[in-house]
Amino acid sequence: MKKLVVAALLVTVAFAGLAQRTGAWVDEVVFFEEPTAAKAVEMVRTGAADVYTFGVSTPAVVKTITETVGYEVSYGSYNEITFNPYGPEFADGRLNPFAVPAVREAMNWLIDRDYIIQQFYAGVAGVARWFPITPSFPDYAKLADVARRLELQYGYNLEKAQSVIAAEMQKLGATLVGGKWHYKGKPVEVICLIRVEDERRQIGDYVADQLEKIGFVTRRDYKTAAEASPIWISGDPKQGLFHVYTGGWVTTVVDRDQADNWDYFYTPRGRTDPLWQAYKPAPEADQLWNALAMGQYSTAEERLAMMAKAMELGLKDSVRVWVANRVSYFARNKNLAVASDLAGGVYGAWLWSRTLKWKDKVGGTVLAAQASMLTEPWNAIAGTNWIFDQMIIRGVSDYATLPDPFTGLYWPQNVEKVELTIVEGQPSFLTLELGKDFGGGLKGWVTQTFAKEIVVPGDAWADWDAKTQTFITAEKRFGGKVTAKSKAVVTYPASVFDRLWHDGSKMSLGDMILSFILNFDRAKPDSKIYDAAAEPAFKTFMGHFKGLKILSTSPKVVFEVYSDLVYLDAELTAASRAGYLWPAYGFGVSPWHGLTLGLQADGDGKLAFGSAKAKARGIEWMSYIAGPSLAVLKGYLDENAKTGYIPYAPTLGKYITEAEAKARYANLQKFYATYGHFWVANGPLYVDKVDTVTKTIITRRFAGFTDLATKWEVFAQPKVAAVKVTAPATVTRGSPATFTVDITFQDKPYELAQLDFVKYMLFDGAGNFVGSGNAVPVKDGQYKIELSGDVTRGLAGACKIEVVVVSKVVGMPSFASVSFVVR
Amino acid sequence: MDNLRRIGKYTLLRGVLIVITVAIGVYLTVIIATMGGYMDKIMASQIREQVGTILQGNEELRKLPPAELKLIIDQMVEQRMREYNLHTPWIVRSFRYLANALTLNLGMAEKVYSDSGSRQVRLILTERLPATLLLMVTANLIVFFSALFTALVLSRHYGSPLDRAVVALSPTSAAPAWFYGIFLILIFASVLRVLPYGGMVSIPPPKEPLAYALSVLKHLVLPVSAWFLAGIFSSVYYWRTFFLIYSSEDYVEMAKAKGLSSRAIERRYILRPTLPPIITSFGLMLITTWMGAIILENVFTWPGLGRLLQMAINLYDAPVIVGEVVIYAYLLGITVFLLDIAYAALDPRVKLGAGGRRPA
Repeated sequence: MKKLVVAALLVTVAFAGLAQRTGAWVDEVVFFEEPTAAKAVEMVRTGAADVYTFGVSTPAVVKTITETVGYEVSYGSYNEITFNPYGPEFADGRLNPFAVPAVREAMNWLIDRDYIIQQFYAGVAGVARWFPITPSFPDYAKLADVARRLELQYGYNLEKAQSVIAAEMQKLGATLVGGKWHYKGKPVEVICLIRVEDERRQIGDYVADQLEKIGFVTRRDYKTAAEASPIWISGDPKQGLFHVYTGGWVTTVVDRDQADNWDYFYTPRGRTDPLWQAYKPAPEADQLWNALAMGQYSTAEERLAMMAKAMELGLKDSVRVWVANRVSYFARNKNLAVASDLAGGVYGAWLWSRTLKWKDKVGGTVLAAQASMLTEPWNAIAGTNWIFDQMIIRGVSDYATLPDPFTGLYWPQNVEKVELTIVEGQPSFLTLELGKDFGGGLKGWVTQTFAKEIVVPGDAWADWDAKTQTFITAEKRFGGKVTAKSKAVVTYPASVFDRLWHDGSKMSLGDMILSFILNFDRAKPDSKIYDAAAEPAFKTFMGHFKGLKILSTSPKVVFEVYSDLVYLDAELTAASRAGYLWPAYGFGVSPWHGLTLGLQADGDGKLAFGSAKAKARGIEWMSYIAGPSLAVLKGYLDENAKTGYIPYAPTLGKYITEAEAKARYANLQKFYATYGHFWVANGPLYVDKVDTVTKTIITRRFAGFTDLATKWEVFAQPKVAAVKVTAPATVTRGSPATFTVDITFQDKPYELAQLDFVKYMLFDGAGNFVGSGNAVPVKDGQYKIELSGDVTRGLAGACKIEVVVVSKVVGMPSFASVSFVVR
Repeated sequence: MDNLRRIGKYTLLRGVLIVITVAIGVYLTVIIATMGGYMDKIMASQIREQVGTILQGNEELRKLPPAELKLIIDQMVEQRMREYNLHTPWIVRSFRYLANALTLNLGMAEKVYSDSGSRQVRLILTERLPATLLLMVTANLIVFFSALFTALVLSRHYGSPLDRAVVALSPTSAAPAWFYGIFLILIFASVLRVLPYGGMVSIPPPKEPLAYALSVLKHLVLPVSAWFLAGIFSSVYYWRTFFLIYSSEDYVEMAKAKGLSSRAIERRYILRPTLPPIITSFGLMLITTWMGAIILENVFTWPGLGRLLQMAINLYDAPVIVGEVVIYAYLLGITVFLLDIAYAALDPRVKLGAGGRRPA
C-alpha cells in the first residue's frame, strides 16, 4: 500500500512537472557538423547522435534509416526533364524535335515514372510527379481527383510515345533510316545534359536510353551543377548546347499558393534567363497561366477550375516533364519527437525547438548532427542564410506568428488577433477565422471583411527620412489621398512586454520601432548604414507598402498596416502584417541595444551587415557570434554602457529612456562576459557556447521563456490520415451500391471537423475513368460513397474506386483504393 | 672571402630561382583554380540562377509588374557580379592573384569564410592550421620514425620471417588512409563503440582543459591509425631496401672486417652517409602536412586544411586555393634551400656553389 501511494505521488509529481514545463522540452541541444549522411545515420543508430537534421534521399541510406532508426520525411525537392524548345532548327541547322509541343507531350508517355521510382529511388525515396504543383501541398490535395485522372492519361505508354513522335518527326522532314532518325542526311542527335550529383544521373541515362529505343542517337553530357549552369541557364538556346537537361528544384516551405507555378516554369515571364525567353506557350495556356499568376479570379472554386485546366495545358506544353518528388528522410532516435516541415523537413521546421522532446522524459540533451555549420557570419540584418545556421537561429528566436509545418498556414505566437479589410474584388480566402476551434488547443485569429475603398490615413508612417531620422507621413509621401488594397489592424497581447531577451532585458517599444525603421534606413543613400544591396528588397517593399499607424501602445500594442500586397490566404497576409513591428529581421531576431552595436560598426565602416558591402569596402562581414567582429562590437558596447547611446534618437528617443539604455547595455555586458558572443535572442533556447574550432554550438533551455512547453505539441507529428475503403460483397449492375471509407490517425477515428473533404474517382473494368464525386460524412472517422443505379449500370467486370482524403490540419492528401466486381 | 662570395652568389641565385619556380607554380594554380577564366562564366551563370531562384520563392517579388521586376532582377544580378569582381577581366584578376600571393598579401576570400566568420584568407588558413598540424604531424612523425627504426632492424635481419612479412604487406599501402579509416570507423566506432566516429573532440566539448586534451587524443587515435596503416609497410620496405644498399657498401664490409660492433657500424657507416636523404625525406614529409589530407579529413570530419581546400575548390574560391598553395610553394622552396645547406653541413663531399664539382 505504502509503495502504491509513493508511486502515485511520483506519477502526480511527474505529470505536474509536465504541465508546468515552460519553453523547450529538452534542457540542451548540441549541434555539431557531420557532412557524410551515411556516417551520420550510423551515428544515430548507435546513439552517437540523436538526430540528423539533413534530409537524405540516397536509396541505400534511406533503407538504413527506415529499417533501423526513427525518421521524419519531407517532400520539398523535385526533379524534372527540362527541354530546349528552340527551333525546330538550331542556328547551325541541326534539328531540335523538342521544339514541337506534341513531341514534348509524348515524352510523358516515353518515361515510366513508376520504374524510375522503383529503380532509382528504391521505391521509398521518391513519388511520381506530373505537374508543377507538389503532391504534398494543399493545392494538389484540392485537385487530387483531377490529378489522378491526368496521371492515368499520361502514364507510361511506349507505343503511343513512339507513334506520336514518329508522326511529328515526319512532319519535320526527318526520316527513319535503319531504325535511326535522320535529318538532312545526318542522324538526329539528342544532347542530354545530365547532372551527376544525385539520382538525376540515372534518370538522365534512362531518358537517353528511352530516346535511343525510338530511334534517336544520344550524346550524354555529364555535368555538375556549376558546370551545367552556363549551358542550360545562361547558354543561348539557339546554339543547341543541349536538348534535354535533368533539372531539380527545392521548396523549403509549404507553398499554399502554387497557382503561379505554370507562369514561372512554362512562360518567358517566369525568369529573364535565355532559356525562358525561348518558351512560346499556346495563347490559351499563356493567358490562363498569366491570369493565375495575377490572381485574376474571385472565388476559390474559380481558381481551382482554372488550375485544373492549367494542369492539362501544362502537360500539352511540357517544356518540362515532371518526373519525381524526392522524399527526404531525416533520421532521429526512435525515442525522440520533433516537428518536421512537409517541405523543409527538420531543418526547415520553425517549430523544432518547441517540439523537440524525449518521449520518455522531460529535459535531457539532444545531440544534433548537421551537414554543415557556421558557414557564414551570423547577423540579424543580412547574415547567414544557410539553412543549417538558420535552423539554430530560428530555434533560439521568438516570432509574432509561426508557420504550420503541415499546411503552411500561420498560427499566432505573440499576436492576439488581426482584423483584415480587403478591397472588393481582390481574392483572399480565410481559414483560421477568429474564435473558431481547430482542435489541439488551436484557435482562429483572423477576421476578414471587404470594403469598396481603403483610404490610408495621412498621418500614417509611410517612409523614412534618413537625414532627419524621422518618419515621413503618408500625406507627405503621396501628396494627397491614397488608397490601399488591404488594411490590417494588428493587436499584440499585453504580455509581449513581459517577454525577455536572453540577456534578461524586457521587450519594449524601442525594439519594435527600430525593427520598423530598419525596413527603410539601409536602403537610403543618406543613411550611414546605406547598402546598395538592400535596394531591390526595399523597392519591392515600397511597391506595396502604403503606411503604418500605431493606434495604442498600452496596455496592448495595436497598429494598422496599409498595403497593396494581398496573399491568397488571409492568414498569410495577416502574418505578414503582424510582423511589421516584431523585432525579427531577415536573418534573426535582435533587441535594439544589441543591434545598435552593429549599426555603429557598419556606420563607421569597421564592419558591414551585408556581404557585398563588406567585400566592396574590404572589411569583415559582421558576425555576432565569433571572429574579429566581436572585439569591434565589444568596443561599442563598453562605450555605449557609459554614454547610454540611443540610435536614431530623433525618433527612438521618444520610446527609449537613457536609464533603459544604460540598463540594457549593462545586461549585454554581463551576457557577453558569460557567453562570449552577442547573439541575444528571445526564443525557448539560447546560444550558450560557440566553438568554432570543433564546429559546435551548444544551445540551452531559456528559463525566462514562459510559454508552456505543451503549446505547440500538436505539431510534433503530422496527422496524416490512414484510409481504408470497403466495398460491398457484390455490386449488381443497375442497383445502387454503398462503399465505406474509414479514416483514422494512430488507429483512432479522424475528427470530422479536421477533415476538409473526401473525394472518389471511379474506374471501369477497362481502367477508364468514369467519374468522380464527393463522399458523404457519416461520423468521426467515417465517410460513405453512394453509387446510384444509373452509375453502376455503366460498369462491368473488375472496377475500381480510388479515394482521396484531404485534411484541414495536414497539407498532404491520403489515398486508398478498392477493387470490386460488377455482375 | 671567396667562400663567402661563392655562398652569397649561390644563395641569391637559388633564391631567385625559387621565387621564379614559386611564381610559375602559383600562376599555374591560378589558371587551374579559375579554369582559365571559364570560372567567370560559371559564376555569372550561377548568379543568374540564384537570383531566379530567389524570385521563385518570393511572392512579394512575383506580384510586381514585369518591367519593375526585370529592373530589380537586373540590379540584383549586377550587385552580385560586382561583389565577385566579375566585371574586371580575368587576365587582370589572375595577375592580381599572383602578385598578392607572391607578396603574401593573401587578402579576402571570395566565398569561403572562416568558422569564426572572417573572410581574411590569413585567418581562414590559420584557423584550420592547428588541427591539420596536430593530425598530420603526429601521424607522419609516428610513421616516419617507426618506419626508420623498423627498417634498420630489418636490414640487420634480412630474410627473417618479420622481414618477409613486411615485404609481403608492403602492397597494402596501395590503399589510401581514408580507405582504412572507413574500416576502422566501422570496427571501433560502429561495432565496438569504443572510439569516436570523427571530429576533433567529443560532443559537447569537455570544459576542463585536461579532459579536453584527452578527448582530442582519443579522437586522434583512428585517423592517425588509418594514416599509419596506409603508410607504414611501404615506408618500412622503402627504408629497409635503402639501408640494405648502404649496408653492402665496401666501407661497411671493411668495418665489419675490422670487427666493429654492429651498433657502431649502423651509426657510423650506415646512418651517417644516409642522413642527407633521410633529412630530405623528413623535411619534405613535414611540409606536405601543410596541405592536410583532403579525403581523410573528410572521412573523420577533422576540421583541417584538407577539408578547407576541398571546400575552396568546390566553391571556386581562387584566393583561398592560391593562399594555401602559395604557402606550400614557399615552404617547399625554403625547405629545398635549407636542405641544400644541410647537405653541405652533413656531407663533406657537398659544397655550396661548387658547380657540381666534386673533390677527386
